[in-house]
Amino acid sequence: MTLKATADLMERILREETPGKYSYSVSQNEKQELNLENGEFKLLRTVFGSGASARVFLGAKMGAASGNDITEEGLRKLVGEAAAAAESANEDPCHDIAPHQREEVFVQGVTEPDMDRFIERIREFLDTVAREYPKVRIMSGIGSFDRWNRITRNANGTAFESRGGQYFFEMDICAGDGEKTTGLDYAGFSTKALDRPFIEMGDLRRHLEDIQNSINPEPIEGKFEGTVILTPGSAANFIEMLVDNYISDSVVINGTSQWLDKVGEQVADGRLTVSLKPFDERIVIGERVTGSGFRSEDVTLIEKGVLKTHRLSLYGSNKTGRPVVKNTGFDLVVENGEKTLAELIASVDRGLILGGFSGGQPGTNGEFSGVAKNSFLIEKGKIKGAVTETMVNGNLGEAFRRIRGISKEVLCDGGSVVPYIAVDGIVISGK
Amino acid sequence: MLQDIIGNKTSLFSDGVQTVLRGQENRNRRVVLLKGNLVQNSRSETRGINARVNDHGTFGFASIAEYTPEAAEKVIRAATENAGALRRHSGRNAPLPPSKGTGEIPLNAAIQDAPQKELIELCRTVDSYIAEKYPDLTSRTVVYYEDSQDRIVYSSDAFCGHLVTPRCYVYVMMSAETKDGVPVELFHAFGGFGSFYDHFREPEKMYPEIDRLYKRLMDKKEGVYAEAGYRTVVLGGMMGGMLAHEAVGHTVEADLVRGGSVAGPNLNKRVGSEVVNMVDFAHSYAGGAAPLPVFLDDEGTRAEDAGLISDGILTGYMNDRESAVEYGMAPAGNARGWTFSDEPIIRMRNTCILPGKNTVEELIASVDDGYYLINSGNGQADLTGEFMFGVTCGYEIKNGKLGRALLDTTVTGVAFEMLKTVDMVSDTVEWCSSGFCGKKQPMAVGMGGPHMRCKIMIGGR
Repeated sequence: MTLKATADLMERILREETPGKYSYSVSQNEKQELNLENGEFKLLRTVFGSGASARVFLGAKMGAASGNDITEEGLRKLVGEAAAAAESANEDPCHDIAPHQREEVFVQGVTEPDMDRFIERIREFLDTVAREYPKVRIMSGIGSFDRWNRITRNANGTAFESRGGQYFFEMDICAGDGEKTTGLDYAGFSTKALDRPFIEMGDLRRHLEDIQNSINPEPIEGKFEGTVILTPGSAANFIEMLVDNYISDSVVINGTSQWLDKVGEQVADGRLTVSLKPFDERIVIGERVTGSGFRSEDVTLIEKGVLKTHRLSLYGSNKTGRPVVKNTGFDLVVENGEKTLAELIASVDRGLILGGFSGGQPGTNGEFSGVAKNSFLIEKGKIKGAVTETMVNGNLGEAFRRIRGISKEVLCDGGSVVPYIAVDGIVISGK
Repeated sequence: MLQDIIGNKTSLFSDGVQTVLRGQENRNRRVVLLKGNLVQNSRSETRGINARVNDHGTFGFASIAEYTPEAAEKVIRAATENAGALRRHSGRNAPLPPSKGTGEIPLNAAIQDAPQKELIELCRTVDSYIAEKYPDLTSRTVVYYEDSQDRIVYSSDAFCGHLVTPRCYVYVMMSAETKDGVPVELFHAFGGFGSFYDHFREPEKMYPEIDRLYKRLMDKKEGVYAEAGYRTVVLGGMMGGMLAHEAVGHTVEADLVRGGSVAGPNLNKRVGSEVVNMVDFAHSYAGGAAPLPVFLDDEGTRAEDAGLISDGILTGYMNDRESAVEYGMAPAGNARGWTFSDEPIIRMRNTCILPGKNTVEELIASVDDGYYLINSGNGQADLTGEFMFGVTCGYEIKNGKLGRALLDTTVTGVAFEMLKTVDMVSDTVEWCSSGFCGKKQPMAVGMGGPHMRCKIMIGGR
């Protein structure tokens, strides 16, 4: 059965079985995945998957179910489960489905892979790493080609089809010299083209250089307030925590957001602009349909430091009376700044380049505390060396108000576009 | 529960390679009440079949999202072809791991499915109790979460069996504000291995612990920031479990040892004080069931305990069949996959630092100036054993007595250095089984530990 026929079957079952509103999706996907271990090919994995999900409404009561059995029997069972869940639910008119939208088909990425070329590129990358970074070990790696097709519809007549495919490569690396070993680092990227060597993709070369320079880290003495230059990976991590803790559904519905009444106000440094841009050409596969069933849109969350919107789903919007944001992905684009990374480093009296942050999810107060991973000490504008057993503490909201500078350089890894961001006032402490 | 429709497909296994065929179903149930609003109400089931083939050190894997005899035939063929194709690329020709016996492991439990209505009713009951008794909270969340694995495993030269791992939990989260308007939160997880009816027939049994959670939250409301530095602390049992899993457990997974973890050069060397002992339990602990029992892994290895640290000496790793040969150890059943589409990789089961001889009260009374760190929200560790745990609940200790509560903080250290500072260990163990371990795939794991007195870096503000 084609996916369209499966979707039509699902539509028929929902019309037969449920009296009210509904939304649903059906999908098929395929993965070809090459796993590496210690720089060698280890496992070849093929996955054929399928999926179906439905949200069913009985008046103002909503239930949801999902599964991967897309036979008629499986779909009937799934709809029955969703209906039973709805029957037991509270009445809550804030649960809803997206309004009618124009039917669209979205095709992204590459649908027919060149697996031989892909494997050649991986082999070439492994050879390059062995030659240029002899102390680096690729502990594990994954090269995969993923292809999917998804149909999303609802009872208001909205119907979207999304299909596409992408190559993806990621690696876990460490470096060693005798019995000395570094910690773990991670880097990866997604792409639709195989025209460039993988060593030039994303931020892979910097990660390899940094881990090779981290074999002899030194602890920091004492505690001081300094500047932290967030690498693009760290910056994306911190911005994701900021979004979760300050403007997401749960904290706005809860009323615990520190930015509950800050829309339209300056919440961050005037140089910070944060957007989610699934249609940006640098994003390989952007979100096309939101979790609430809207056609996705590019959205700017913070523009020149001003909070433009909370990030609310349809439910969150209905619950709080605030605008819905038609974007539930995380295709992060942060505007670059005017200084080079070298200039940012030169401007720092004492601080860190923070390659990674190993810390807990901050509470709603924004306080964060964790270990600086893959990080380097800066003193008087110069990089001194890798650090170990070093903690960083601060507050998310305060950190983005105290931006020292944003780099011209941006990392494009296929899933995000992010510069280096230097922030002041972070407590850095050693043993 | 799965019906066995794949057993007669073992005749399709190729000679000269090792093949495992696995049919699996995973179920999830989820209900979330946020301030009394039902924000999630969902059920999910996925099932399918996979095969994995070891062709002399290169592996092929294939899975299909169908549970049919035809799907079993397809995945056996595809996995065999994948292994052969990759072997031609890699040129590897490693000997196959020896068989450690064959046989059938009996079914260990049943999965009982409660209707969604009862799950919602449970959450409403708990939520109403909290809302009525503690109206001063700024927010409350009650979550019912359940997952289960139902697996049928057939192997070419190892054990086979039909095993299930159901678990279910109620998470209670409470929020309040300090006098400065700063939000503070605490949570507690109830439940464990088994189904809804095993744990939640009587919701009122949760109320004393909910009351204690509220009391601790009120303490935290008045809490202080920890004084940053290298301090003497008493780690609670949940923190001990986190240490066992994150800081030590991952470094002694043989695939990470092979990748260069700190455990490689430290085998048979001292990594902790003499009071530190650690085991990854398979299915039993102290005469009873371990929190999440594992009887058979996804390579067909019959599960046994894996000894890791004995009297402070690192004595072993957790292995799959291949790494066990490499390190001269016996495989103990640590190779597991989360869903039908996941290949088995080395995972922990019920990893625990063993109890000692002191009481918890003795540990606290022995500290003049330090901290009692009770619970952790999360933790991470590195190949070097450098770890970070978020501390969500803790108290000062002054002159052997508990003082003010702590606001959220973080502790860090290097496991094999920190374990050498452990000088007192309590005689009881606390277990946690409600979380997931992330390592390419998620995995349900148990972790446990006693209270321990030690020195550790604590972050302040």
